[in-house]
Amino acid sequence: MIFFSALLAAVLVFRPAITIHPGGKILAFGVLFFLPVFCLIAGVDSEMERSKSTAFCLSCHIMEPYGKSLRVDDPTYLAAAHFQNHRVAPDQACYTCHTNYAMFGTFKAKLGGLRHLYVHYLRKEPAPQDIQLHEPYNNRECLHCHLGARSFEQGAVHNADPDTLPAVKANKVSCISSGCHDVVHNLRQLDKVKFWSEAN
Amino acid sequence: MWRAGCMDRRLQTSALLLVSGLLVEGLCLLWARPLAFVVLVGLGGFLIAAGVFFFLYSLLFAAHSGKDGKPDGLQKG
Repeated sequence: MIFFSALLAAVLVFRPAITIHPGGKILAFGVLFFLPVFCLIAGVDSEMERSKSTAFCLSCHIMEPYGKSLRVDDPTYLAAAHFQNHRVAPDQACYTCHTNYAMFGTFKAKLGGLRHLYVHYLRKEPAPQDIQLHEPYNNRECLHCHLGARSFEQGAVHNADPDTLPAVKANKVSCISSGCHDVVHNLRQLDKVKFWSEAN
Repeated sequence: MWRAGCMDRRLQTSALLLVSGLLVEGLCLLWARPLAFVVLVGLGGFLIAAGVFFFLYSLLFAAHSGKDGKPDGLQKG
């Protein structure tokens, strides 16, 4: 569609005189207005969808250890357990947990991605294990799926103290705080763990 | 005659901007890298938007400057 539109626009570059006919005028309006606008919207939408894919995130060299951490053979590794058990869609694993489930969340996530590109190309990027989140991880992102789930609402540890669950829901106690689900990617230990392979 | 030539040049400029923008967009969609997203939105989006706005501006300009209210480059039809 895009190359077809470009081809039609190229006809107007070489033969602008075709617009003297009524059909040519309609063609010009379609080629110079409707088709490009449609192609731009469709192109950006397609690229936005692709930018949510796990393969897209892992296409940056610096993200490789994070991709590797999704295959750790240890259920206490939060990211790996979610990825391997399809608690998140495997083809959108990074995006599902690292987007922002609030208004304009996708837009904010993509702006964050632009910052990554800026640091990658124009600044000195940190080592993978030194990468920090822009802001502390918000429980809202976990609760987007887990809120109302039996394992979350009636979990023994979650209900051991009656204050725990309300505090978690109010984002006063982080899900990934120490002693809870605190092993997420844990890159520093990657060389000491076993890896799971789908072929097994 | 001069007016028609002027409109033709504007159409050519607009079409040229759009061809460039569409080619950039097409190549970016084939090139599956994070930088492609930025190039698509930044360069491709800019060229396409510039082409479309220049075309619309040309139509407006032609409508205002044409004789008896008709667009100058489109009078022949």
